[in-house]
Amino acid sequence: MDSNEADATVLTTPAPARQVLESGARAAAKFTAGMALALLPLPLALADSYWLDIVVVTYLMAGLAGAWNIIGGFAGQFSLGHGVFFGIGAYTAAILFTDAGMSPWFGMPIGMVLATAVALLISWPTFRLRGPFFAIATMAFNQVAFVLVNYLDWPTNGPRGILIPFQAGLASMIFQQRWRYGVLTFLYLLLVTGIALLLRRSRLGYALLAVREDEEAARAAGIDVLGAKLRGMAISAALTAAGGTLFAMYLRFIDPPTVFSLPDIGVRFALLALIGGIGTLPGPVLGAALIVPVENFLRAHITTDWPGADLVVLGAVMVLAARFLRRGIAGALADGVRALGRRRQ
Amino acid sequence: MRLSRRAAIRLGGAGMLAVAASRRRAQAAEAIRIGAINPYSGPMALYGTEVTHGYELAVERANAAGGVLGRQVVLLRGDAANPQQGISAVEQLAPSVDVFAGTYLSAVSNAASDAALRHERIYWDTNALAQDLTQRDLPNFIRSGPDADAFARGSVEAVKGLIAPALGREVKDLSVWIEHEDSIYGSSIAAAQRTLLQAAGAKIAGVGAHPASAIDLTDTVLRARRAAPDVFIETGYVPDGNLLLRTSRDQGFTPRATLFVGTGDTPETLSSLGAAFLEGKLVESYPRPDVAPAYGPGAQDYAEAYRRKFGHDPIAPQGLTAYVGMQMLLEAIAAAGSTEMAKLRAAAAAMDRPLHSYATGFGAKFDAHFQNIRALPTTIQWQAGRQVTVFPEAAAAAGVRLAPLSGRG
Amino acid sequence: MGQIVEVLVAGLLLGAVYGLVALGLNLVFGVVRVVNFAQGELVTLAMYATYWLYAHYGINAYLAVLLVVPALFVLGVLLHRLVLAPLQDEPMMQIFATFGLVILIQNLLLGITQGQALSIDWPFARTVIAFAGVNVNVARLVVFAALTAITVGLHLFLRDTMPGRAIRAVIQDRRAARAMGINVDRVLLLTVGAGAGLAGIAGALLAPIFTLSPAIGGNFILAAFAVVVLGGLGSLWGAYIGGLLVGVVEACAGFYIDPALRQAIWFAIFIAVLILRPAGLLGQVGAEEVGFRGQQ
Repeated sequence: MDSNEADATVLTTPAPARQVLESGARAAAKFTAGMALALLPLPLALADSYWLDIVVVTYLMAGLAGAWNIIGGFAGQFSLGHGVFFGIGAYTAAILFTDAGMSPWFGMPIGMVLATAVALLISWPTFRLRGPFFAIATMAFNQVAFVLVNYLDWPTNGPRGILIPFQAGLASMIFQQRWRYGVLTFLYLLLVTGIALLLRRSRLGYALLAVREDEEAARAAGIDVLGAKLRGMAISAALTAAGGTLFAMYLRFIDPPTVFSLPDIGVRFALLALIGGIGTLPGPVLGAALIVPVENFLRAHITTDWPGADLVVLGAVMVLAARFLRRGIAGALADGVRALGRRRQ
Repeated sequence: MRLSRRAAIRLGGAGMLAVAASRRRAQAAEAIRIGAINPYSGPMALYGTEVTHGYELAVERANAAGGVLGRQVVLLRGDAANPQQGISAVEQLAPSVDVFAGTYLSAVSNAASDAALRHERIYWDTNALAQDLTQRDLPNFIRSGPDADAFARGSVEAVKGLIAPALGREVKDLSVWIEHEDSIYGSSIAAAQRTLLQAAGAKIAGVGAHPASAIDLTDTVLRARRAAPDVFIETGYVPDGNLLLRTSRDQGFTPRATLFVGTGDTPETLSSLGAAFLEGKLVESYPRPDVAPAYGPGAQDYAEAYRRKFGHDPIAPQGLTAYVGMQMLLEAIAAAGSTEMAKLRAAAAAMDRPLHSYATGFGAKFDAHFQNIRALPTTIQWQAGRQVTVFPEAAAAAGVRLAPLSGRG
Repeated sequence: MGQIVEVLVAGLLLGAVYGLVALGLNLVFGVVRVVNFAQGELVTLAMYATYWLYAHYGINAYLAVLLVVPALFVLGVLLHRLVLAPLQDEPMMQIFATFGLVILIQNLLLGITQGQALSIDWPFARTVIAFAGVNVNVARLVVFAALTAITVGLHLFLRDTMPGRAIRAVIQDRRAARAMGINVDRVLLLTVGAGAGLAGIAGALLAPIFTLSPAIGGNFILAAFAVVVLGGLGSLWGAYIGGLLVGVVEACAGFYIDPALRQAIWFAIFIAVLILRPAGLLGQVGAEEVGFRGQQ
């Protein structure tokens, strides 16, 4: 397949999708650059570690949602099993650090390689499945991973989880000051967004988009559908594992229910990307930037005589967002910008 | 700058609350503020709230008696149902509290206490069970309540001192099935039980694990029934414990003694199984308000104060242990003359109160890991739909008699 | 020997629970092509409604069906009108919205019950029939009988009645069905309502068996998903057999291998089936490759 064909594929996609593509890619690039400049000083300026914690988690979740978005958004493969890759990244770094004293800077790439290998193994059979079948099958993998990690005393320490001792230092990726985690997770977010941006404009990126829009047409156009999906999944899984390592070193305690939780981890990446704007570059960032602080705010400020009131609100927000923000925040913003432009004309 | 941002957010989101909070703060400018980290949402909210009710009663009592160090004590809640939320809750409260207390969930305690250390605040744990928490030797972590090991030891003591005599057998002639839910809570207690029972010479008929979310436990019960143990010990949560008992009833699995650990002593179990079926069954749990006054002085007062304030009986015994833990914390603060980390820890290290000093029958004496070694669970027996403390013998109130372990039959 | 029979019976009865929860999911999944993540929460709601009727009005669980099912039907219709139908062409947003409903309903129940676990201790549900040394709880047997009866009933309904044929037409080709003069939107609406009604039956029949907690629907639903995919999309008998199969595998794995691993074992089998026969045991070959698209 050469780039002409890729363009042809893009041109044959339905109109709304093309609009998102055109205005999306350029606007998104500008937007991301703007966000980067605007947000980098933020964690450094905040003295308050409560907000720093929220900022760290927001960056991390934005990065993870961005990693999910590569396969879930660009390629339209609605994986609910990314908790597996996340867990591999978290556990690999944690085990190597606590048992072998290996720096997580080495543990992270090892975890990424392992996650990629597992991703390819899982994907090879499941990529034949579409839509709900794919989502449910990947969710099943998440549950298998949970049960196995909980069951095995070695190397994962079973239900007791892994406690990472506090040894501050750059080499151990553990810091006394919280803002350093902010820088670290921001770099991670930047890395994920950068790779997504490059990917978006690459041949593989176009192939993934073509696969999302119409797999048969993509195949007819000469695209190696399975190959493209596998490569997209590999990149997505590796980046997710890197996020898992950061999570483990930030919390310094991981156990199976924390790492393989469907609502907190596995499904969450997808939800953040969806609410932000699935398949767009700024979508995952917007989704995390909205949801993570709102959740924290609700938990801290809704009175607690009614347990779960904060989550009732969150659930309602999700339903309403699905109804009225169908293309996510990014889509709504794009519409807003377009409407403004029209008025100016 | 920081204050104004915080105030702005409060005003923006919850104006009424902010006004009330700032007024309260003005009134109690010198108050000692304690952050209570517990799950107030999510499936464990019932118990997180119950633990905090215990804190509230202890704090009210102290305030009514003139406060601590002449200052009023104020509780602030921090909601955390998972470790990441534990960090967040600590960070949110750290600027406005002097000490942290918690926590119904061990995983939350783990992350939250670590975050509290960065603010050099003591994390006084009253209710978390995991052994690892004190083994970390964090300079700010102190546990006033029993840990998983204490529960394992307590349950094995009950086998030796209560069940074996009641069955007219030697411990070495008993065969025991150890069943547990498969998270850290059940598996750590079960592992310790196994070691202790083997050391006591009992025969281990089998060890079984099941997920707490299981919706069928027939296979588990059939396995246990095949092994035909004299004693069936189970550590789990309420739904799986109920299911296990119902399935045992269906399958005619009737060991001569059944000992639940941690749960099984609340109305949630009674309403599922009924008084007749529960008759005689034992539960190793946190001490209850019905302990003998000489064993746990003040336990009755707690029950009455609870009813007055909340309008119903205590939901679970965790609240009483939390109440006592908060009392110990306030005593330690009084002794230290400060809430500063090093001073408070030194005061805790110096505490030496004999057993039966508190309503739970606990004393206060911390080991090198700052685990209270005088915090022991007690054993209740279901008798005619009521939970009656029967073991240790000193804990049983006057006139309490042990009913046959396997019901009326 | 007797032991094997006991384990098999335990597995079949467990499978019936899965199958009953999967019925509604399968119907909605097959006809409307929506993965309703909140189906488990509909079952939970029905269980709490049954509990409430029992605890406050002394209505037994099997009579409660008469009240719970219509209530759930209405809820299903509302669900379709307000959430699913407007998101008809947005499969991912449907997942998002129904997941939001899961969080919403679970925490609403948590707030109302304050997290207290509730049980119905109904004497009838304690009855045990001993047959050739195998103990069978009557309430669980009722679940099995109900599952079988409903499956047969639905089978006949789909085969022999006009509305049933309309539903089948919609399953096969929505556009053609519309061209034939079938009111597709109404079929979809009623199907989601019926799916919720089936959740109502499941909830009422399961309430006397389990201890109710707000998250209990989540414990059923993963298995129910697996059952639906295992049996085959939209295949009634596939879900029936798939449910029983998962139950038997789980019970055998639990008894003969290790109860802690049983979920992993049947998930592994589920994944293996997906690989070897992606359409499911009785599903139409190729259905899994159609997914959501191409049927709008």
